[in-house]
Amino acid sequence: MRIYEELFIIRPEAAEEEVDQLVEQLSSVVTSASGTVDKVEKWGKRKLAYRVQKCREGHYVLLQFSAGPETVKELERRLRVTDAVIKFLTVRIDQTLRRLEKRRQQREKRARRRPAPAPAVPAPSVAQQMMAETAEKEE
Amino acid sequence: MAETKGKPVAASQRPTGGDKAAVGKKQYFRRKKVCRFCVEKIDDINYKDVKMLHAFIGERGKIIPRRISGVCAPHQRRLGDAIKKARNIALLPFAAAL
Repeated sequence: MRIYEELFIIRPEAAEEEVDQLVEQLSSVVTSASGTVDKVEKWGKRKLAYRVQKCREGHYVLLQFSAGPETVKELERRLRVTDAVIKFLTVRIDQTLRRLEKRRQQREKRARRRPAPAPAVPAPSVAQQMMAETAEKEE
Repeated sequence: MAETKGKPVAASQRPTGGDKAAVGKKQYFRRKKVCRFCVEKIDDINYKDVKMLHAFIGERGKIIPRRISGVCAPHQRRLGDAIKKARNIALLPFAAAL
Protein backbone atom coordinates (compact mmCIF):
# COMPACT_ATOMS: atom_id res chain seq x y z
CA MET A 1 0.00 0.00 0.00
CA ARG A 2 1.37 3.36 -0.95
CA ILE A 3 0.26 6.84 -0.09
CA TYR A 4 -0.57 9.11 -2.97
CA GLU A 5 -1.69 12.64 -3.45
CA GLU A 6 -3.96 13.50 -6.33
CA LEU A 7 -4.35 17.16 -7.18
CA PHE A 8 -6.78 17.94 -9.97
CA ILE A 9 -8.46 20.92 -11.50
CA ILE A 10 -12.12 21.06 -12.48
CA ARG A 11 -13.57 23.52 -14.96
CA PRO A 12 -14.69 26.79 -13.37
CA GLU A 13 -18.21 26.45 -14.78
CA ALA A 14 -18.82 23.36 -12.67
CA ALA A 15 -21.12 23.93 -9.72
CA GLU A 16 -20.20 23.08 -6.16
CA GLU A 17 -22.46 20.01 -6.19
CA GLU A 18 -20.82 18.70 -9.33
CA VAL A 19 -17.43 18.98 -7.69
CA ASP A 20 -18.68 17.12 -4.62
CA GLN A 21 -20.23 14.48 -6.81
CA LEU A 22 -16.99 13.94 -8.70
CA VAL A 23 -14.97 13.73 -5.51
CA GLU A 24 -17.46 11.20 -4.19
CA GLN A 25 -17.14 9.18 -7.38
CA LEU A 26 -13.34 9.16 -7.28
CA SER A 27 -13.31 8.26 -3.60
CA SER A 28 -15.45 5.25 -4.34
CA VAL A 29 -12.90 4.13 -6.94
CA VAL A 30 -10.26 4.11 -4.23
CA THR A 31 -12.40 2.48 -1.54
CA SER A 32 -13.75 -0.21 -3.87
CA ALA A 33 -10.14 -1.26 -4.54
CA SER A 34 -9.61 -1.72 -0.78
CA GLY A 35 -7.81 1.60 -0.46
CA THR A 36 -8.59 4.37 1.98
CA VAL A 37 -9.19 8.06 1.38
CA ASP A 38 -7.27 9.92 4.06
CA LYS A 39 -7.93 13.52 3.19
CA VAL A 40 -10.04 15.60 0.84
CA GLU A 41 -9.17 19.25 0.54
CA LYS A 42 -11.09 21.68 -1.61
CA TRP A 43 -9.13 24.81 -2.34
CA GLY A 44 -12.02 26.45 -4.13
CA LYS A 45 -11.71 28.48 -7.28
CA ARG A 46 -8.15 29.60 -8.00
CA LYS A 47 -6.56 31.41 -10.86
CA LEU A 48 -4.41 29.22 -13.08
CA ALA A 49 -0.88 30.28 -13.89
CA TYR A 50 -1.55 29.72 -17.58
CA ARG A 51 -4.47 28.87 -19.81
CA VAL A 52 -5.58 25.26 -19.79
CA GLN A 53 -8.21 24.28 -22.35
CA LYS A 54 -9.18 27.93 -22.60
CA CYS A 55 -9.82 28.17 -18.86
CA ARG A 56 -8.13 30.82 -16.79
CA GLU A 57 -9.29 29.51 -13.44
CA GLY A 58 -10.52 26.29 -11.94
CA HIS A 59 -11.59 24.41 -8.84
CA TYR A 60 -8.62 22.72 -7.19
CA VAL A 61 -9.23 19.53 -5.27
CA LEU A 62 -6.63 17.60 -3.33
CA LEU A 63 -7.21 13.94 -2.59
CA GLN A 64 -4.88 12.02 -0.34
CA PHE A 65 -5.31 8.28 -0.29
CA SER A 66 -3.45 5.05 0.25
CA ALA A 67 -3.85 2.34 -2.33
CA GLY A 68 -1.92 0.14 -4.69
CA PRO A 69 -0.48 1.21 -8.03
CA GLU A 70 -3.30 -0.40 -10.04
CA THR A 71 -5.79 1.84 -8.31
CA VAL A 72 -3.84 4.89 -9.39
CA LYS A 73 -3.97 3.68 -12.95
CA GLU A 74 -7.73 3.33 -12.79
CA LEU A 75 -8.12 6.68 -11.05
CA GLU A 76 -6.05 8.45 -13.68
CA ARG A 77 -8.06 6.79 -16.43
CA ARG A 78 -11.24 8.10 -14.81
CA LEU A 79 -9.81 11.59 -14.58
CA ARG A 80 -8.73 11.52 -18.18
CA VAL A 81 -12.16 10.58 -19.49
CA THR A 82 -14.01 13.06 -17.30
CA ASP A 83 -14.54 16.18 -19.35
CA ALA A 84 -14.88 18.46 -16.33
CA VAL A 85 -11.34 17.68 -15.20
CA ILE A 86 -8.85 19.80 -17.07
CA LYS A 87 -5.63 18.80 -15.33
CA PHE A 88 -4.42 16.37 -12.73
CA LEU A 89 -1.21 15.42 -10.98
CA THR A 90 -0.49 12.29 -8.99
CA VAL A 91 2.38 12.29 -6.54
CA ARG A 92 3.55 9.39 -4.44
CA ILE A 93 4.28 10.78 -1.01
CA ASP A 94 4.91 7.86 1.35
CA GLN A 95 8.66 7.99 0.78
CA THR A 96 8.71 11.74 1.26
CA LEU A 97 6.68 11.47 4.44
CA ARG A 98 9.04 8.84 5.78
CA ARG A 99 12.04 11.01 5.00
CA LEU A 100 10.48 14.01 6.70
CA GLU A 101 9.61 11.96 9.76
CA LYS A 102 13.19 10.76 9.99
CA ARG A 103 14.49 14.29 9.71
CA ARG A 104 12.12 15.46 12.39
CA GLN A 105 13.25 12.74 14.76
CA GLN A 106 16.87 13.59 14.11
CA ARG A 107 16.15 17.19 14.93
CA GLU A 108 14.45 16.25 18.17
CA LYS A 109 17.27 13.97 19.17
CA ARG A 110 19.80 16.68 18.56
CA ALA A 111 17.71 19.22 20.45
CA ARG A 112 17.48 16.91 23.45
CA ARG A 113 21.20 16.30 23.48
CA ARG A 114 21.92 19.99 23.32
CA PRO A 115 19.00 21.75 24.99
CA ALA A 116 19.93 25.21 24.00
CA PRO A 117 18.57 27.79 21.61
CA ALA A 118 15.03 28.86 21.00
CA PRO A 119 12.87 26.22 19.31
CA ALA A 120 12.12 26.85 15.67
CA VAL A 121 8.84 28.55 15.05
CA PRO A 122 6.47 25.97 13.59
CA ALA A 123 5.62 27.07 10.11
CA PRO A 124 1.92 27.02 9.21
CA SER A 125 1.02 24.04 7.10
CA VAL A 126 0.62 24.44 3.37
CA ALA A 127 -3.09 23.88 3.54
CA GLN A 128 -3.56 26.63 6.07
CA GLN A 129 -1.59 29.02 3.95
CA MET A 130 -3.59 28.19 0.87
CA MET A 131 -6.83 28.68 2.76
CA ALA A 132 -5.67 32.05 3.99
CA GLU A 133 -4.63 33.00 0.50
CA THR A 134 -7.97 32.16 -1.06
CA ALA A 135 -9.75 33.90 1.78
CA GLU A 136 -7.76 37.03 1.08
CA LYS A 137 -8.69 36.90 -2.57
CA GLU A 138 -12.35 36.53 -1.84
CA GLU A 139 -12.44 39.59 0.35
CA MET B 1 34.08 30.80 0.80
CA ALA B 2 33.20 34.39 1.53
CA GLU B 3 35.76 36.88 0.57
CA THR B 4 36.18 38.85 3.73
CA LYS B 5 39.32 40.76 3.14
CA GLY B 6 39.99 43.45 5.65
CA LYS B 7 37.30 44.18 8.19
CA PRO B 8 35.26 41.22 9.41
CA VAL B 9 31.89 42.52 8.37
CA ALA B 10 30.03 39.51 7.12
CA ALA B 11 30.05 37.41 10.26
CA SER B 12 28.42 40.01 12.44
CA GLN B 13 25.58 40.73 10.04
CA ARG B 14 22.37 38.90 9.37
CA PRO B 15 22.97 35.40 8.02
CA THR B 16 20.54 35.74 5.14
CA GLY B 17 20.62 38.32 2.44
CA GLY B 18 21.34 38.74 -1.18
CA ASP B 19 24.43 39.46 -3.07
CA LYS B 20 25.12 42.86 -1.63
CA ALA B 21 28.64 43.99 -2.18
CA ALA B 22 29.60 46.95 -0.10
CA VAL B 23 32.16 49.06 -1.85
CA GLY B 24 34.67 50.82 0.31
CA LYS B 25 38.17 51.94 -0.53
CA LYS B 26 38.59 49.64 -3.53
CA GLN B 27 37.65 46.70 -1.35
CA TYR B 28 34.61 44.51 -1.82
CA PHE B 29 32.84 42.92 1.08
CA ARG B 30 30.55 40.22 -0.06
CA ARG B 31 28.01 39.09 2.47
CA LYS B 32 28.05 35.35 2.77
CA LYS B 33 24.95 33.81 1.26
CA VAL B 34 23.27 31.14 3.33
CA CYS B 35 20.67 28.66 2.24
CA ARG B 36 17.27 29.80 3.46
CA PHE B 37 16.02 26.26 3.95
CA CYS B 38 18.99 25.34 6.13
CA VAL B 39 18.69 28.47 8.26
CA GLU B 40 14.94 28.24 8.77
CA LYS B 41 15.11 24.45 9.09
CA ILE B 42 12.51 23.83 6.41
CA ASP B 43 12.65 20.14 5.55
CA ASP B 44 9.61 19.98 3.38
CA ILE B 45 9.86 21.82 0.08
CA ASN B 46 6.33 21.21 -1.07
CA TYR B 47 5.02 21.89 -4.56
CA LYS B 48 1.75 23.15 -3.10
CA ASP B 49 3.41 25.97 -1.22
CA VAL B 50 3.08 28.51 -3.99
CA LYS B 51 3.90 31.51 -1.84
CA MET B 52 7.26 30.07 -0.86
CA LEU B 53 8.12 28.86 -4.36
CA HIS B 54 7.33 32.28 -5.80
CA ALA B 55 10.37 33.66 -4.02
CA PHE B 56 12.58 31.36 -6.09
CA ILE B 57 11.35 32.11 -9.59
CA GLY B 58 12.15 35.22 -11.54
CA GLU B 59 9.64 37.52 -13.14
CA ARG B 60 9.74 35.46 -16.33
CA GLY B 61 8.95 32.35 -14.34
CA LYS B 62 12.43 30.89 -14.51
CA ILE B 63 14.02 29.10 -11.59
CA ILE B 64 16.58 31.36 -9.95
CA PRO B 65 20.05 29.76 -10.02
CA ARG B 66 21.57 28.98 -6.69
CA ARG B 67 24.58 31.08 -7.46
CA ILE B 68 22.22 34.01 -7.02
CA SER B 69 19.77 32.77 -4.41
CA GLY B 70 22.41 31.08 -2.26
CA VAL B 71 20.38 27.90 -1.76
CA CYS B 72 22.53 24.84 -1.03
CA ALA B 73 22.71 22.05 -3.59
CA PRO B 74 20.47 19.44 -1.90
CA HIS B 75 17.78 22.02 -1.28
CA GLN B 76 18.04 23.50 -4.75
CA ARG B 77 17.47 20.02 -6.15
CA ARG B 78 14.29 19.57 -4.15
CA LEU B 79 13.24 23.13 -4.91
CA GLY B 80 13.63 22.52 -8.64
CA ASP B 81 11.52 19.38 -8.42
CA ALA B 82 8.84 21.22 -6.47
CA ILE B 83 8.73 24.11 -8.94
CA LYS B 84 8.43 21.72 -11.87
CA LYS B 85 5.57 19.89 -10.20
CA ALA B 86 3.82 23.15 -9.42
CA ARG B 87 4.18 24.19 -13.06
CA ASN B 88 2.58 20.99 -14.20
CA ILE B 89 -0.58 21.65 -12.25
CA ALA B 90 -0.79 25.32 -13.23
CA LEU B 91 0.18 26.71 -9.84
CA LEU B 92 3.24 28.36 -11.38
CA PRO B 93 3.81 29.51 -14.95
CA PHE B 94 6.15 27.80 -17.38
CA ALA B 95 6.86 31.17 -18.92
CA ALA B 96 5.35 34.38 -17.70
CA ALA B 97 4.57 37.13 -20.16
CA LEU B 98 6.28 40.39 -19.48
